[in-house]
Amino acid sequence: MRRVVLALGGTVAGLVMLLSFRSHMASTASAGVTAGSGGTGTSPGSGSAAGSGSSAAPGAGAASAPVSKGSGTGTAVTGDAIATPYGPTQVQVTLNAGKIVKVTVLQHTDDGINSQMIDGHALPLLNNETLTAQSAKIDAVSGASYTSAGYIKSLQSALDKASA
Amino acid sequence: MDGTRPGEPAGSAGPGDAAAAAGVTGISVTNPDLPGPGATSPGGTRIGRPAGRLRHAEHVMGTVFSFDVPASAAPVLPEVLSWLHWVDVTFSTYSGGSDVSRFGRGELTLAECAPELAEVIAECAVIEEQSDGYFTAWPGGRFDPSGLVKGWSIERASNMLSAAAKTGPSGTGPSGTGPSGTGTSGTGHSVNGAGDMQCTGEPERGRPWRIGVAHPLHPSALAVIVAGRDFAVATSGTAERGPHIVNPHTGLPATELASVTVVGPRISRADAYATAAFAMGGAAREWAESLDGYEVFAVAPDGASWQTSGFAAYTVPA
Repeated sequence: MRRVVLALGGTVAGLVMLLSFRSHMASTASAGVTAGSGGTGTSPGSGSAAGSGSSAAPGAGAASAPVSKGSGTGTAVTGDAIATPYGPTQVQVTLNAGKIVKVTVLQHTDDGINSQMIDGHALPLLNNETLTAQSAKIDAVSGASYTSAGYIKSLQSALDKASA
Repeated sequence: MDGTRPGEPAGSAGPGDAAAAAGVTGISVTNPDLPGPGATSPGGTRIGRPAGRLRHAEHVMGTVFSFDVPASAAPVLPEVLSWLHWVDVTFSTYSGGSDVSRFGRGELTLAECAPELAEVIAECAVIEEQSDGYFTAWPGGRFDPSGLVKGWSIERASNMLSAAAKTGPSGTGPSGTGPSGTGTSGTGHSVNGAGDMQCTGEPERGRPWRIGVAHPLHPSALAVIVAGRDFAVATSGTAERGPHIVNPHTGLPATELASVTVVGPRISRADAYATAAFAMGGAAREWAESLDGYEVFAVAPDGASWQTSGFAAYTVPA
């Protein structure tokens, strides 16, 4: 499984990638990824991998959300790696002064048609709405009910974890 | 409320397991500006935010209640959380010993139950009539007011926070937009129970709450963003749990809509209306226009969406 770091122009839509994803990939759950670099936006719809490859921090346990303070770039909060129909995916939300300023997909397999689906469909959505410091602010998410287990993969969970 | 129910067995979704797996437990980003760690509880984690705000996630009723409150609410939060756990125990349909279960079996009269049960039953009756029976506390003939209990408890929790803000030392009035906020932070709060929420005041001075509505068909997208002050947002759908809302008139799972979002003043109503509309399916569109004070947005399984005439007042550019 090849890991790449996708540096997306963060969008509101991207936040919800965490929603409704299901079972957990134990093998990737502890791969915290250091934030703060990358994240330069790609042009809308390009969908190309632009980052610097994964920079996994194996020591980061699943029981703690990797939180890194990048000077001037805000606080990055990384969600758990989760299995999706498109392969293991991990989303990072960067906050600055309480506002979401960046959403980054940190993990992404590129091994077949399913990956094409996320490239072809999700990424244009991600780039559809450009995030600015003001427009980025989402306080909460309304959606179909989740269980206690489902919550941990939800955007609401990421928002709750976030602390700038 | 369409997915989780009070008293749902923990199982793999138990607070301990889930929290550990998710990294919920152990994350405590403290903020020196916040009051002492008095608001933590076994079911949740308190997380600080700057500028006088505080978030808390509480595992209760088989799901998670997320609080976004002013730091000044920290002293009252434990009481609110305790009350939610009391609701969980009292209204559980999974525990045979709960008031709801015993009432349903005829072992207790209504007068012998917690008085809140009568309140819930009365509210269920109102909504059942308004929805032509698409919302009911007697699905399949068995007493189960779960469809109302979560929304009702969200609303009560929000009211408890408002009352404390009004009377507390840093009282700012029920709207939560008073002058005593810290810096630019607002004094409003939101209580989000598994995707259904009551919001008061403002999270930040001069700015309304912004609530993303998850797109039921595309996990990578929001269907719409709504904004407001002193309002409630509820969504019924099948995203996580699959088809599980039953049309009480047919006994079959409702499948004509992918999700229904209701916006209006009170979450107890908005939540129940969303459930009823989802059960109605296509017929919900006309019914939704008849709701007084509540606006509806729905997405069909083919991705088409519709909204009531007043819904646009809540939408904002992404």
